[in-house]
Amino acid sequence: MIIDTRASDADLIVRSLAEPDLFTAVFDRHSGEILRYVYARLGPDLAEDVTAETFLAAFRCRNTYNDAWPDARPWLYGIAMRQISRHRRVEARRLRLLLSALPDGPAEDHSDRAAERVTAQRLGPRLAAAVAALPRQDRELLLLVAWAELSYAEAAAALSTTIGAVKARLHRIRVRMRAELGGDYPVNEENEDE
Amino acid sequence: MNDISTLRELRPVPPPAELEAMRMAARQRFAAGPKRAGQRWRRPVLAGGLTTAAAAAGVAAALLLTSGPGAVPGPQGTAGHRRTVVTTAWTVREDADGTVRITLQEYSDPAGLQQTLRADGVNAIVRAIPYTLQTSVNINKPIVRPACNYVTIGDREPLSVQGAVVTVGRQALPALFVIHPDAMPAGSALFLAFMASPPNATGNIAVKPVVLSNDTVPACVPVTTKPAPGTPPLGRKAGGPVPSALPRAA
Repeated sequence: MIIDTRASDADLIVRSLAEPDLFTAVFDRHSGEILRYVYARLGPDLAEDVTAETFLAAFRCRNTYNDAWPDARPWLYGIAMRQISRHRRVEARRLRLLLSALPDGPAEDHSDRAAERVTAQRLGPRLAAAVAALPRQDRELLLLVAWAELSYAEAAAALSTTIGAVKARLHRIRVRMRAELGGDYPVNEENEDE
Repeated sequence: MNDISTLRELRPVPPPAELEAMRMAARQRFAAGPKRAGQRWRRPVLAGGLTTAAAAAGVAAALLLTSGPGAVPGPQGTAGHRRTVVTTAWTVREDADGTVRITLQEYSDPAGLQQTLRADGVNAIVRAIPYTLQTSVNINKPIVRPACNYVTIGDREPLSVQGAVVTVGRQALPALFVIHPDAMPAGSALFLAFMASPPNATGNIAVKPVVLSNDTVPACVPVTTKPAPGTPPLGRKAGGPVPSALPRAA
């Protein structure tokens, strides 16, 4: 199958209602990103299965896709999130593992990223514990923004809510995390206003 | 530095090779369709045929893919297909039995369509019919008329052959034609013409594909627009303004 790369996700999904094979192009466009997210959340043992199940679920409900969104990523993340939520115990184990296994960064790297890594290494266990302790909905939102790197608008679409609600909930999450981690919690004005 | 970027540093990231292997495995599972209750997926052996490759078919850069979810039958219930070429203008799908389905979403890119059909083993000639633009006083919209006529020209195969080779699913957009290349006599050619109209104009047409006895490209014979004596021009009310005709080459 040859797909015109100019076709939007929405176009492919709508046309896949008549030509199901076109949905394969949606898989090939976004499976890497979804797989990375699932891997981060659940680890290597479940990453393949949950990614495949995510796209199969997306395929089954593609007739409900809102074609006002040319980019299908938020929709796919929303489905992935529901698939991930079926493996809560595995995710909890994964987070516990994360507390003790943050890899070392390159010593010669003096960039901002190196500073973040140092902070992450220092805060890692406490930060991961704080994330694990968040209510599920809050954790989903925080990780959609931090790990899936969705914008607030995209996260709102993935969670079927509004941007205002996303901002308000993130603010509450940060207040809670700051309370748990004290002055160590790295928050700046920029991302509060993002 | 902020909390989001710090959290991002905590994100476990698989090595690229491992990620790609898992992605290909997930792709095979996706293509195989949903697993049945109690059935375990097994890690499949990666097949080279699943590799995504860049391809070009007279259109923009495109992706070469294999078939989609295997548990889902094709739109017409076909058992499978060899390949499908999709552009924003048209779709050409070659089924496993050699049947070729052409779906026209819009009338454009005749050269790409011709190249794709030929790659599917159909000796095709695809042409865009030049148009003439007229302004209608009745509906106040430009009306597109063919500037020439291909259809009456050319050595055609008999009707029995035409019927065996071409099935028309729908002639208006989105138009659907089903071609049976096996029924085409040796040396024959499939001629498909459509008229691409300018934006905001009405009068798009697609001509039913015609099987020619040879691959001589038919001539484009200008259609006379001169009205018969005593009859007003088409689209003009008696006493109304004279419509303007803007001939244009294709």
